[in-house]
Amino acid sequence: MEDFSAVYRECYPRVLAYAASNAGPRLAEDITSETFTIAWRKLDQMPPNALPWLLGIARNLVRAARRQTWHDELTDVASDDDYAVIELRAALATLSEADQEVLTLIAWHGLVATEAALVLGCTTATFFVRLHRARRRLRAALSTSNFDRARESWKTS
Amino acid sequence: MEDLMKHLAQAKPPAPEVDPERMERDLARIIAMPRPAKVRTSLRRFGPVLVAAAVIALAVMLLPRPGPTVQPAAAPQRWHVLTQEWELMIVGEPANPYTVMLSATKERWAAADRQFDVFQKNGEVTPFSPDDEAKWEAAGKPSTAPQLGGHGSVRIGPMQLGVRRIDAPESNPFAGLPADPVELRKTLQTITGDNGSQDSLTYRTAMLAMQMTTANVRDDQRRAAFELIKTLDGVRLLGQTQLRDGRSGIGVAIPAPPTFQFTGFETQLVVNPETGLPMVKRNVLTAPQHGLPVNTPIFEELYLLLERTTIDPILPQGVTVNGNVESPIIER
Repeated sequence: MEDFSAVYRECYPRVLAYAASNAGPRLAEDITSETFTIAWRKLDQMPPNALPWLLGIARNLVRAARRQTWHDELTDVASDDDYAVIELRAALATLSEADQEVLTLIAWHGLVATEAALVLGCTTATFFVRLHRARRRLRAALSTSNFDRARESWKTS
Repeated sequence: MEDLMKHLAQAKPPAPEVDPERMERDLARIIAMPRPAKVRTSLRRFGPVLVAAAVIALAVMLLPRPGPTVQPAAAPQRWHVLTQEWELMIVGEPANPYTVMLSATKERWAAADRQFDVFQKNGEVTPFSPDDEAKWEAAGKPSTAPQLGGHGSVRIGPMQLGVRRIDAPESNPFAGLPADPVELRKTLQTITGDNGSQDSLTYRTAMLAMQMTTANVRDDQRRAAFELIKTLDGVRLLGQTQLRDGRSGIGVAIPAPPTFQFTGFETQLVVNPETGLPMVKRNVLTAPQHGLPVNTPIFEELYLLLERTTIDPILPQGVTVNGNVESPIIER
């Protein structure tokens, strides 16, 4: 039980952040709570590096929530960021859900490839291929004229 | 757009504030819930390791350093190579041998100033077939098994992940080589002519050319390396060749010198005819041995990524760089 409590307190913020970025802040706490409830029931399956496993559970809950809710309700994000950030998020939003997931697990949630592969249930090699392709598609999305300003601002930042 | 992933990280939405009260309240509720009585068992399996790497030692270090004017066009920041390797090894007592498979992923991020090698990733040594597993179990599921005909033992189980960093690595030895197959053949034969190896000059040249196809070279150099292999004595053209994952390419095969466990096999290289990039290099049995039929790959190196990239190396966390890494092959 001490192990679980320690994992809970350590991983809670990251599971919450994952849930918030994928399902919106309104559902994030409930999804996080349900994630750890399921983890408690499956405690004998919890690996030493629990975060990817927990995010895998959260991912299933996010997908279930999406099936019941309009996507727009899930992903409203406050936008007082600069133009480049907004444009990058917009470019990201043009990609498939699968591409977004691959990119954000690394860039937003700080996982290494091995961990991200565990979340997605694929091999590390497959993940690298998917990451490579997703990166290329994001780059292509940013190459459209709509995103020129974002790129310019990076060059000067 | 120097580093897309870094910029994407900056575009991360603000993390929600943790409500400590809600967090602790939920924790108290969760751990008050009943759960299956099964005691948690750690999935962490510290095991041995290693890597396969049983290929042929090559005289890369003897290659001339490239001059400053012959760098590949549009020099990339990094050369990124991701490979999946398999190798079969015969182990156990001579009266009851069985086959194990060593499998691991290997990754290289090579830049002019620094090179990272990630090795034995997802590495594992397992019995090869259900029949081999039955023999291993009948032997008492040993954690190490002696190599048949060899002086070492093989550790069965997961391999230890390793990361190696090389500062100021040798510059790419293939970069300055000719792009004409005839000239390239002369150069490689000169280089491999006196390296002390027992292997034939033809085989050594073929191995070096195959290695060149995986290096950070221009497309015309890569194609020249493949073309020169075709001209070597004993080389067989495979034509359209199917890979195990369903893809296909064009291949060449050259008879390979025997190892301490296998005698009749050939080394094959299959490349993508459109890009010239290698898809797989493998050693395939040309005669049945140790109960394995003809055409069984006994070593395979599948090239998953070969690319020039500007992204920072993605390295596994929690691994000591240049730390001691156990090999799955140990002295008996």
